[in-house]
Amino acid sequence: MAYEFYKVKILIVEDNKPMLELTKSILQTFGVAEVVTAKNGEEGFREYCLHNPDIVIADWMMKPMDGISLTRRMRNDPKSPNQYTPVILMTGFSEKRRVLEARDAGVTEFLVKPFNARDLYRRIAQVIERPRQFVRSEDFFGPDRRRVKKAGQQPYDGPNRRGDDKRIAPEVTEIDFAERGPGETQ
Amino acid sequence: MTEHYNQKRKRKAEFIKPINTLKAKVGSGGLSEDILNRAQELLENNTVDFQPLAEIYLAALMKGIEQAKEAEAASDKEYTISTMLYPGMQLKANGGMFHYPLVSQMADKLIQFLEVIDEADIEAVEIVLAFHTTIRAVVLGKIKGDGGTHGQNLLKALNDACMRYFEKNKGNIGTVIEE
Repeated sequence: MAYEFYKVKILIVEDNKPMLELTKSILQTFGVAEVVTAKNGEEGFREYCLHNPDIVIADWMMKPMDGISLTRRMRNDPKSPNQYTPVILMTGFSEKRRVLEARDAGVTEFLVKPFNARDLYRRIAQVIERPRQFVRSEDFFGPDRRRVKKAGQQPYDGPNRRGDDKRIAPEVTEIDFAERGPGETQ
Repeated sequence: MTEHYNQKRKRKAEFIKPINTLKAKVGSGGLSEDILNRAQELLENNTVDFQPLAEIYLAALMKGIEQAKEAEAASDKEYTISTMLYPGMQLKANGGMFHYPLVSQMADKLIQFLEVIDEADIEAVEIVLAFHTTIRAVVLGKIKGDGGTHGQNLLKALNDACMRYFEKNKGNIGTVIEE
């Protein structure tokens, strides 16, 4: 058994053409049949609405709209076809405050450039095998900024910070993914 | 005292677990080593000429350096630093993708330097200029890979310059940015 990537549609948003072509070629080698491309966040959002891809891989620094603004729009614009689409943000930044900034915009995974083929694969496997639950609050909508459970970590059974927090979805079972690792069969 | 001063809780968070349609589409099993090796080979054998790209980013970095030199005391310090930081980030991001990992290593040091200084003073700008000159020499000299001993010596020289700056200008580093 292997991932059937030919069923998946991925949108790459990148203003650097050689980088875009290289990323596209890697995805095609992975077996992704449909790769849609756009050269900035504005064009990316149009393509996103048109194609409703399964994953978006976006660069951070682009004009007129960057990857962070694109992510915010995907998460909050009423025209967005799927507010939950995983976003993998590519960037040369790796400092903590940059990662936090991306996280606060609703980015799902962070891919630091330069990267190799396995790095890209790991991020894709992560969004497949360990999807983040989403949080909606007054000032934020996006993937939960904390991983719910980590391998070897005991489930949290202390008091809730907000007593009236509600869970409207089935119990999270991400610990299973963490223990199995990406790509392994159930 | 009662909880929250008898006020209604202001923030409520709702947790949503979307259906994992992606997993349902791709199934299980991951990708084989063979496919990953092929993808890596494709990446390593790309024939993109990095030089024209690097020239764009180096020109942007030089523009940032010039702006920083002319910046007045009252100007936005973060903005001034960002005009040098962003092209530095592009050099770091792209060098290693297109056979110039030494450019990525040097630009990474440049980013680290710019991320910790509070203000781009004259001495700091001189250091950024040294990074620019050295990275440009690497690109024009087509020094691919890690540049061997010479490349690592250049990297060390840049790093040492940053360390000397930090030692001398303790007042210009260390402001914690609110996260």
